[in-house]
Amino acid sequence: MSEAHLTMGAHSAPPMEAPPFAMPFKKLAMWLFIMSDVMTFAACVAAYSFLRNATPDWPRPFHGVTGVAIMTVIMLTSSLTMLMALQAAKAADKAGAFRWMMITAAGGALFTFLHIRDWMGMINQGVGLFSNPWGPAAFGAAFYSITGFSLLHIVVGTIALIIVALRYQGGRYNADDVELFSLFWQFIGLVWLFIVPLVYLMNLAR
Amino acid sequence: MTTAEGSGMKKYVAVYVVLLVLTALQFIIGYQNIEGSQMAVRFLTFAIIESLLVVLFFMNLGSEKPVFIKFVVYFMLFVLATMNYIWTDSFRLLLFRVTGFGPS
Repeated sequence: MSEAHLTMGAHSAPPMEAPPFAMPFKKLAMWLFIMSDVMTFAACVAAYSFLRNATPDWPRPFHGVTGVAIMTVIMLTSSLTMLMALQAAKAADKAGAFRWMMITAAGGALFTFLHIRDWMGMINQGVGLFSNPWGPAAFGAAFYSITGFSLLHIVVGTIALIIVALRYQGGRYNADDVELFSLFWQFIGLVWLFIVPLVYLMNLAR
Repeated sequence: MTTAEGSGMKKYVAVYVVLLVLTALQFIIGYQNIEGSQMAVRFLTFAIIESLLVVLFFMNLGSEKPVFIKFVVYFMLFVLATMNYIWTDSFRLLLFRVTGFGPS
């Protein structure tokens, strides 16, 4: 037996266990991030719901939710356009994937604009973090916290999407990276589907 | 576009339409004169159905290995369920604020 043979035999790696989830580590990391983010949002929603339930004179200031309905349609549509980008990326249609990603980013930017406009309306009515013209001050803090956390995700997501699209077009990212971002974007849309009924529709003026 | 990709997009569009319909129903419920707890239950039911559709189809969790699906579902359900122990305290606070009786 040669010396090289003996050395290799001495340092042979122990048999490794097969990875249980059989998915790329980046994708697993994204799922774990999403799961931790679910807990953060769930904590926000639980705190908001606790406050709302424990406060007898909780205000119902929203007279119309047309703007919120438009924002919801934009969010859902951007989820679909992100999936179209993913399908195009998987089919190696680089131009198509880039186009759909930029359309999705435009949806995110429009959503952000409408969301800030909605906030400005609330601020002009006197609703602040520690003030509320309709009663308990906690309303403002709860409203801005929960919608602000969602808005932060959308703003960061929109910027990240533009970066992903540019890097994908430049050849640094591939379809797997687009899929990772798609997971995050779908998650943001999912969170909005909980915020709309709990924060806006439950507080419609009657 | 291949047949598989085409059928994939059809599935996504179908789920998108269902999500739009469910959301529209939520808005209709929002304008109805229903008691608060009943309304919350209806909203949450719709939101849970919507989130299942998004997670299974848009996030493609349904096509992952069963052991990963179990990991995600069991872990999330456990965490979300244990967050609900706070409710008794919110009712205690509500009772105190309305009646003035009971521990503050």
